[in-house]
Amino acid sequence: MLLEGLALTPLPPLLAAACIGGGVLAGRIRGEAGEHISSRLALGAAGLALVQILALLVIKWLATLNSPLRLGTWLRSGGYHIDIEFSLDILSLPLAALFALLALMVLRFSVNYMHREAGFHRFFMVLSLFLGAMLLLTTAGNAALCFVGWELAGLSSYLLIAYHYDRPVAAANATRAFVTNRVGDAGFMLGLVLAFLWTGGIAWADINGASTRLQEWQAGVLACCFLLAATAKSALVPLAPWLARAMEGPTPSSAIFYGVGVIQAGVYLVLRLESLFTQAPAAMALMAGLGLATALYGFFCGLAQTDVKSALLFATTGQVGLMFFAAGLGFWQWAFWHLCAHAVLRGYQFLCAPALMHAVAGHPPRPVHPWLGRRRLLYMAALQRFWLEDLGDWLVVKPTQRLAADLNAFDRQIVEPAFGLPAPALALPGTAARPPSGDPEVLRVSGLAGLALRALANALHWFEEKLVLQGNGQNLAGLGRRLGARLNHIENLLNQPRFLVVFILATLLAVF
Amino acid sequence: MDALPGQGPSKASHEDIRRYLQAAVEHLDHVLPGQAPILNFVHHNTLHGYQHLPFAQALEAAEKLTGIHGYLPEEESRRLYALGRIDGQDLDVALACKFGGHDGEPIRLGTRTVGRREVSRVALLFGVDSIEPNRFNWQVEEMDALRRFQPDLPQDRRAALLRGADSEAEAVQALWNACLEVFGLAHYRLHPEELVDIPMREAGTILAQFDTEADNPLVCPVNPGVHQSVQAESQVELAALLAALGKRLTLRGMLAALTGVDVLEQIRPLLIRFCASQLDEGLAAWRAPDRADGLYAAWKRCAAGDIALGHGDQAGWRAALADLPEQSVDAVIAILRHLEIPQNRWKDYLERLALELPGWSGLINWRARHPEYAANRQVPVSLMDYLAIRLFLDRLWIERLCRETWGLPGKLSALKAYFERNPSELLARTALFAGELPEYLAGTARKLIGLSSSERSQPEHWRALAEMIWAWKRSPAAEKSAAHTVYRSAWRLFRLGQHLGLDAADLRGLALEEAERLLRLLDELNPCEKGQIWLQAYEHHYREQLFAALAQNHGRGRWARREARPQAQVIFCMDDREESLRRHLEELNPAIETLGAAGFFGVAMNWRGLDDAGVTPLCPVVVTPAHEIREQPRHGQESLHERHDRRRRWKARLERVLHQEVRRNLATSSLLIGLLAPGALPILAAKLFFPRHWDALKRKAAKALVPLVPTRLAFSAAADSQPATPARPRLGFTDAEQADRVESFLRNIGLTSGFAPLVVVAGHGSTSQNNPHRAAYDCGACSGRHGGPNARAFAAMANRPAVRALVAERGIAIPADTWFLGTEHNTCDETITWFDLDDLPAAFCPALETLRAELRQAVALSAQERCRRFASAPRQPSPRQALRHVLGRAADFSQARPELGHATNAAALIGRRSATRGAFFDRRLFLISYDPTQDPEGKILEGILLAAGPVGAGINLEYYFSTVNNERYGCGSKVPHNVAGLFGVMEGAGSDLRTGLPRQMIEIHEAMRLQLVCEAREEVLADIYRRQQILRELIGNGWLLLSALHPDTGALSYFEPGRGFVPWTGGQAKLPMAQRSADWYAGHSAALPPALLRCPDHALEADSHAA
Repeated sequence: MLLEGLALTPLPPLLAAACIGGGVLAGRIRGEAGEHISSRLALGAAGLALVQILALLVIKWLATLNSPLRLGTWLRSGGYHIDIEFSLDILSLPLAALFALLALMVLRFSVNYMHREAGFHRFFMVLSLFLGAMLLLTTAGNAALCFVGWELAGLSSYLLIAYHYDRPVAAANATRAFVTNRVGDAGFMLGLVLAFLWTGGIAWADINGASTRLQEWQAGVLACCFLLAATAKSALVPLAPWLARAMEGPTPSSAIFYGVGVIQAGVYLVLRLESLFTQAPAAMALMAGLGLATALYGFFCGLAQTDVKSALLFATTGQVGLMFFAAGLGFWQWAFWHLCAHAVLRGYQFLCAPALMHAVAGHPPRPVHPWLGRRRLLYMAALQRFWLEDLGDWLVVKPTQRLAADLNAFDRQIVEPAFGLPAPALALPGTAARPPSGDPEVLRVSGLAGLALRALANALHWFEEKLVLQGNGQNLAGLGRRLGARLNHIENLLNQPRFLVVFILATLLAVF
Repeated sequence: MDALPGQGPSKASHEDIRRYLQAAVEHLDHVLPGQAPILNFVHHNTLHGYQHLPFAQALEAAEKLTGIHGYLPEEESRRLYALGRIDGQDLDVALACKFGGHDGEPIRLGTRTVGRREVSRVALLFGVDSIEPNRFNWQVEEMDALRRFQPDLPQDRRAALLRGADSEAEAVQALWNACLEVFGLAHYRLHPEELVDIPMREAGTILAQFDTEADNPLVCPVNPGVHQSVQAESQVELAALLAALGKRLTLRGMLAALTGVDVLEQIRPLLIRFCASQLDEGLAAWRAPDRADGLYAAWKRCAAGDIALGHGDQAGWRAALADLPEQSVDAVIAILRHLEIPQNRWKDYLERLALELPGWSGLINWRARHPEYAANRQVPVSLMDYLAIRLFLDRLWIERLCRETWGLPGKLSALKAYFERNPSELLARTALFAGELPEYLAGTARKLIGLSSSERSQPEHWRALAEMIWAWKRSPAAEKSAAHTVYRSAWRLFRLGQHLGLDAADLRGLALEEAERLLRLLDELNPCEKGQIWLQAYEHHYREQLFAALAQNHGRGRWARREARPQAQVIFCMDDREESLRRHLEELNPAIETLGAAGFFGVAMNWRGLDDAGVTPLCPVVVTPAHEIREQPRHGQESLHERHDRRRRWKARLERVLHQEVRRNLATSSLLIGLLAPGALPILAAKLFFPRHWDALKRKAAKALVPLVPTRLAFSAAADSQPATPARPRLGFTDAEQADRVESFLRNIGLTSGFAPLVVVAGHGSTSQNNPHRAAYDCGACSGRHGGPNARAFAAMANRPAVRALVAERGIAIPADTWFLGTEHNTCDETITWFDLDDLPAAFCPALETLRAELRQAVALSAQERCRRFASAPRQPSPRQALRHVLGRAADFSQARPELGHATNAAALIGRRSATRGAFFDRRLFLISYDPTQDPEGKILEGILLAAGPVGAGINLEYYFSTVNNERYGCGSKVPHNVAGLFGVMEGAGSDLRTGLPRQMIEIHEAMRLQLVCEAREEVLADIYRRQQILRELIGNGWLLLSALHPDTGALSYFEPGRGFVPWTGGQAKLPMAQRSADWYAGHSAALPPALLRCPDHALEADSHAA
């Protein structure tokens, strides 16, 4: 029982977050006077979690510790079940201890640093939430539980980038980071589903040990799904740009999130799935490639950065890229140690970021090689971060937005009237939009059937009027021309890539 | 403007335009922030460009240009009123000052009359504003406003109003009815739904009213009356928009008003990244290849490779870039022409453009104006270059936006022509993006814009929308109509009536015109005037306290004349932060005399410390030093010095690896990270959990690692050396020059006789751990550096027998048994560093030991006094605890408020310490020693005023503006700050540079102008005022508030521009008396009024009174 209690390391920080949130809602924790309550709750919880992990480590060292430790079942449906289980092995425990320790330090830092900030309590709440999430992420015994931590970490990072939500830039950047991370979630979820389908379970052991049952391509696909998740979380190329936008939060949050926490979560995920990856050489190669690309991206961009936070950030990106590269080449141990060392040092550097100027004033960095120094195009590329964000906008964001706008218009103009929904959009009592008098509408219908009936009546009426009564058929030619123009227009639309993509997708969906 | 002068009749006209633009850019210096790169932060007047105007006018002009209100928000002033920091009498004085004797024609109300002063007072105190319909509903339904008195009604008014009535409800109800009656209004309350949505019926009614105006409805079936009105309104709107171009808006602002898209959001990262790379002073390893050619040239060559400029439209931007002229000024001309900005607005347009990112423009302007600045030698910048780049980017993005939205070219004429043809769209768009529309209209407008971004495609819908908006503007929910309404007239009269103590009977007899006059009186003061009145009241409150203290302290302070020899003299910087230390030192030992002077002690020098690679000017920013002083190892310490140097270089290399290499490289860094991390973890823990111990340990380790070398100063030059000039500084001062410095400084502070055995000269500086604004805490008289070297140099000069002999020839006899000592006081952790103790003759050692012991006690007491203002300090600490706290605080790198800087400054006193000695001034005074008895003509005072006036005003005004509007004049909270290129701070990774002081520095500041009290006769001051232009500007325009303290009688008078000195009559109330400072401040954490101290001087009190 004691062991089970100890294993629930994410619980204290999550409870602290809930207490702070509840206290603020109830009006118990408020303003400057309540600062010590929030900070003590958060610090105490982080300290408790740290003690728990250290105790587990000691137990593990002295005796044996079952890993994973099952506490119960969360969901069960047919043959599928998701357990509440914690993996307490040599990978997760040291990392959890490190995160808890660094979070404790950052919390301590924030007590003074965030004093009298309007969002003091919010900050401590989110930081506690984040610590809980990271502990859950690292100690979860299966992918589903890990995913919960994964999402909570993403959420808290969103909340802290938007800490100054009154500044539009901060809010927009937070949203951007959030949306980019959802791409990774898609990979994670797909990985979960495939793991269920192919291996029958989502415990790490199931996924890792299923190698015998899986074919190489299946292992590759599964690994790639999780690699996608890691790519988004650790901001690898091509999903790197969100990280540079995440620097809007307060200094301590930059330290804990981008020096220490979130950015390393992706590395942890691939380390956790080491056996799976070793069965999928293609995925390994892909990982190494992404890692190398990211390392170079971080390195070159980092050389050109002129503000402290961005400079540290791109240095981080470069190192995280190296970790993936190393893992991709099979140096798993090295990646793990590098992850730990890097988290410590980068956290330190981020916390000291405001003072860096005094340390380096008069000691400029070593300039780049003169050959590189002369490359204008390359310099511009590094300065503009290889235009990754523009490319993303151009290839994905803008077409998606346009498609959404088109679908919206389609909805409003065709679907809604067709189903007889009230169309309040542009029904204005302005004089210009009033129906011209003298032609009262006799027939009022709504709904599909009514509309169909009316359309039929109108068509017959028109037919009678134009063709039968006038009889000369002159209008027919004009009608044909107009119809032709419409069809041309549709064809043009289909030629645009976004519609082409939709068209192909629709076809594929129909086929499968 | 269509004729292109450049290609036109003559080349000269093009030259004229260039000159005109250059002059315009030159002029921007007046409106841009003048803050230096942050490592050289020095306080200066935030509105330095407006200093030629009177204070109130300057603030109004600045608000007109930038929209930044320069006074405390009214709620804040009211809060201060509630706290008693401003009282009713202060407000009366300020109002009397505003209105003079003219109270206007009084309005008769029943049995009494009301004047403008009384009405304005109510407006100031309670803000009688009109109310929005929904809030009115809330007031009536939830606050019971029509049955109960207003909650902010003072108790006595409440009682008076109740006297004639049966019950509160009845009195209030009757008053409300009377208010409605006066304006002939019926009471009605809009249903909540009517507030958000004018019902179709209502809109129909409004539109129908205009139907009747149609001449011939048959010709024009839709409503011509409304339509024409819409068109007319749209024309007005368009004209206003075009007129605002340059004055209030750039094309970017205009497009934002029309499309809701702010192109600056997209341009900013591109612009900032390049500018930062050009301005960087040591963060980036890789910089623009052509940076030495200047900002514009470097950018132009690099920009060809920036595909972000393309965005699909490759051909257009490449051609545009290729067409750019070589010179930035020509590029500005070409682009302004391309955009078709009218030529007579170019000046305003550029100003507006520069002010859209004032921080960056300001820094670039500063760099351009300081060509001698070290970074400028490698990378020159100019404001015109920056504007050219900004304009080019604007041009590309504006073109794109216009094409995407309307298919128009991004030119002014095209937009103008388009909106002349499409008036409904203009009206709908401007109303939507101004954010004034209610939700149902805004939603409709957004949908319409989504469906058809131009009126060309669905004209009838746009027209209908415009008419709806037009109708809404005339509905009661919009509160736009001109007539009297319940919310605007009746409600205000209702509130005003209560606060004036009027009952229903008083109001019922009121004629409509009288009521309108009453309401007009409420609006008589604009926000700036209100702010000015509040400010004057605030200042008046403090001045009364200050003057009362000075008046009642007259004759109490010691050392007005040095009849006996003081035990020691300590000369501090004039800094307000030293006031507490001086007071505590005097309390501890009354036989000590303290003096104050600008903290460079008259020695303007280029300083080169033992470990420095170059020189640093240590003197006020306006001075360029002509001499250099070097710190050198003492004789016989050469080998130690060598070891010191070797170890130091080694340490520097290590630090470089730690701070730069570890983030610069890729592969080697990863190894380094692995090596360093195990050490970093415990260090981080120690820094966070035991900052004080860690700091002490670190110091010890540093000392052991890099041994300290005993040093001396090299400050003397041979008498026949070539003359020293700022252009060609010379190493050292000649004997005569040294004697000049010593003599004039001693004369300045009035220390010409009665020298104590020990004269300590104490410079100051501040240390803090994680603080980009560190220089702002240092000595302002030393260009934001530590003033210790100046103190040390002065002491060393004054100790030289040769110099003393020269000084004695000029009439100041420094006795042989007097020794000068230089020290530095750390205002953050309260440590004191002593210099050149090795040279001290043994005879002085006992005296020094005593003094050091007293100083140790005094700094602890001063720390205790400071702790009362820190929220995180222990409550009521002992001096020892307090000292520990400030030590820990200074060492703590998580501390955003290591010290509070000049946050308490409010006044300056130029005069003998005897005027202030014996009274508690709460660290609010700059104290500058000056002896009027030795300066009958005011020559010395003139010099002091010229030096201290601008410095004091600079500090005070920077604090003032950063406090009244911290978001715009200050730099906001430190928490999201990110240091850019070692020259400034941004918020996040791509914002404007933030100038001014951070919020953490001004939280406890009381925003008021500096009271400058001179112990001098009025005539002397008036003569100086007449002679000196800079003082006329500062004092005559009200940036500084001057007053005179008569040296003999102690009578006070304050200077009023245009009136001269006005004798002060006040302060009848006896000031509280405390035994010691600590008794007075114990247990208080807010600002404290002055008090008299019954310190050990009391024995002398009787003597001086008798004298």
